[in-house]
Amino acid sequence: MKMQLLGTALLSAAMAVGVAGQVQADDFPSKPLTLVVGWGAGGSTDIQARVLANVLEEQLGQPVNVVNQPGAGGGVALSRLAVSDDEGYTFVFGTSMTITFGPLSTETNYQLDDFRYVAGVTLGQSAIVTGEDRPFGDTWDGLIEYAKENPGTSYATQTALDRMIIEYIAQQEGLDLRIVPTSGGAGMAPLILSGDVDFAYSGGTHSGYADSGEMPVLLGLAEDRLAAYPDAPTLQEAGYDINAAEIRMAMVPKDTPDAHVERLAEALEVATQDERFIEITEERILMPVTWMPEDEVTQTLDDQVAGYKALLEELGGLPQDEE
Amino acid sequence: MIGFDAIFTSFSAAFHYQSITVILGGVLLGYIVGVIPGLNRSVAIAIAIPLTFYMSAYAAIAFLIGLSKGTAAGSAVSAILLNTPGEPSSAATCLDGYPMASAGKPRKALKVGLLASVIGDLLATLLLIVVAIPFAAVALKFGPYELAAILIFALVFIAGMAGGSFLKGLAAGGMGVILGTVGLDPETGAMRLTFGYAELMEGVPILPLVIGTLALSEMFVQLDEYRRNKDAAVIKLGNSADDDLSYGEFKGTLPTILKSTGIGAFVGALPGLGPSVGAFMAYGVAKRSAKDPDSFGKGNPNGIAAAEAADNAVIPASYIPLFGLGIPGSVSAALLVGAFMIHGIQVGPLMLRDHPEMLFTIFSGMIVASLLMLAVGWYGLRIFAKVTSVPPHIVISVVIFLCLAGIQVQGYGTFGLIVVFGFAIFGYFLKKLDYSFVTFLVAFIVTPMLEMNLRQSIILSGGEISILLDRPIALVFVVITVLMVLHLGWSSYRRWMQVRRQVPQV
Repeated sequence: MKMQLLGTALLSAAMAVGVAGQVQADDFPSKPLTLVVGWGAGGSTDIQARVLANVLEEQLGQPVNVVNQPGAGGGVALSRLAVSDDEGYTFVFGTSMTITFGPLSTETNYQLDDFRYVAGVTLGQSAIVTGEDRPFGDTWDGLIEYAKENPGTSYATQTALDRMIIEYIAQQEGLDLRIVPTSGGAGMAPLILSGDVDFAYSGGTHSGYADSGEMPVLLGLAEDRLAAYPDAPTLQEAGYDINAAEIRMAMVPKDTPDAHVERLAEALEVATQDERFIEITEERILMPVTWMPEDEVTQTLDDQVAGYKALLEELGGLPQDEE
Repeated sequence: MIGFDAIFTSFSAAFHYQSITVILGGVLLGYIVGVIPGLNRSVAIAIAIPLTFYMSAYAAIAFLIGLSKGTAAGSAVSAILLNTPGEPSSAATCLDGYPMASAGKPRKALKVGLLASVIGDLLATLLLIVVAIPFAAVALKFGPYELAAILIFALVFIAGMAGGSFLKGLAAGGMGVILGTVGLDPETGAMRLTFGYAELMEGVPILPLVIGTLALSEMFVQLDEYRRNKDAAVIKLGNSADDDLSYGEFKGTLPTILKSTGIGAFVGALPGLGPSVGAFMAYGVAKRSAKDPDSFGKGNPNGIAAAEAADNAVIPASYIPLFGLGIPGSVSAALLVGAFMIHGIQVGPLMLRDHPEMLFTIFSGMIVASLLMLAVGWYGLRIFAKVTSVPPHIVISVVIFLCLAGIQVQGYGTFGLIVVFGFAIFGYFLKKLDYSFVTFLVAFIVTPMLEMNLRQSIILSGGEISILLDRPIALVFVVITVLMVLHLGWSSYRRWMQVRRQVPQV
């Protein structure tokens, strides 16, 4: 057993050293790659990234090592990537929120244009949800009507982004909401299921309750209607001009050579058609696989950042700036 | 919600050869760690957590539970043969184990210890299964008010019970709370105590903190002690038939085992007391109620049985508040929460609701671990007896290497190494100055949960304290907490006054 412990540790150390050496060559990739995940092991991004790494490994003909750099909602990984000169050998797999809203809500040493967005491969399914048997039913219009008559209707927030969206909506509709913080889907679910909170943001937890119907979706936050909840309107359909769609994508530093980006993109496109990647994403994490090339992702992110900035201005800054 | 087929499936999953291999690995490793003096359970779990990243969530938890159970049983070996407890909680086992082994009956002593360990562990595991489920069913109805009240109660209780002075307990808890608040404010997103480090935005990383305060600091303490006492005599196992444990002798210890299991389980279910308290309490009760109390301390098998049964019963029982409420009551339970979190699972009543199969798989894994413990201990008796003589300078350097490797593997980088060393020094002084470790660690682990629930309560109620009248459970816990603080404060004040009055006379 002890030998095995030692073995594992040595092997990992060897992997880490292997990536460090730098070789210049045109036939990218000519050495092992590192896929950085900005979240801890075991989370949905990590689960997906490990399968993605396997597929990429076959496509690129080089080992792809997954490394977790958790912290700051994926921000730690990005701040390290921003100063990386690894020419695409090190890339981050993460979610768009870290790069679009992160720099607006916290102080970061990176900006949207510090990176190239190789490709988007998965669409987020975040939503505004509620519980069963609520006095306002399970429709968005019902909720708005109820909240107008009942000041102090409660909403559970998880991220700075969904807080901003809900504050914008409250301002538009003239609502007086009690906004409670909660951490992650595991913190939100008990509040919604027990009825202590009226409605809430959900990153993806609701997908797990799609069959039982215990967590109806009021509003989808993706660009299109959610795969598991086709009846819930999107933000735009409900009349709010916000694009908060989450995209999971691969990112490299902005000075990465074109040839390297193209090679990575090719491999990623194959991955989006690979059964293993589709299965882990659509059946385990319950998010649809998609294919968005670099220019499309970049355009979407640009639009989102512009939209968020306008929204923040309208709201008079972030909550912490008011104090 | 839970059918028999679910239970059946979970058992067949636990009896699958892959799960058995994983659990066996945990038990074996735990046994070895338990046997080696100076390596304890928390050290073992802390350095094993990084290894579990390569396993599925279920395998990881089963492995860690097997590990923590194995240490409790293994620690009896060195207590009996070396008169040095492998775990602090086996100190009570030394009292009768070593005299018995010195009197030429080492194998008999080991077997009594092993059987008592396994029975204590198995019965307490069954109790956990029976109690945790209804407990969790009730706890599911708890909202932020109840949880906040219960968490505050648990913290104060642990600070008061974990031994030493109440004030030191509160201080240790306070340090845990302060470290637990590092990171982004959950409501405003403001940075708190991060000093500009992006790595601290989501709080002090749990793994470096745990490995530093528990494992690495323990190695520093060991180094310290190693310098002072270098040799201890190991009793060798003989082959005499007289040294075998007969059924009659085993039967003689059975009443003690059962009684001690009860005591251990009770102590385990209360947060903060820990296995040492359980073992010594059971030993005391066994001695007092025995017909021949004078034979205790001179090699009475009942003494071994009492200490080991209680020591092992504490571990599964301490998971009752963990699975029922999500509140860790012991260091090993706190580490399990960390391991669950790292694997993306929230421990607590919601587990029963949303992943009953997971919960049952863990429970059945625990039972498998008990049985494996018996097999490992019984057949490995002679091998483990040899492990006791592994020299500390090898153990200590291997553990330090594993600690640092664990941090590197997890990608915390240089920052992680700095954090680990910082906390190792911090933990060293906590231990040397006798500040309660459990209180510190549990406070650190539950602070984010406590803060969140408290703030939710305040916002949802609109700041009205009268909400407690609508929430009787929360009210009860608030009242008990206040009474407990008054009581503990008053009695420590009186003790302090007594000491002060005595000083001039001496």
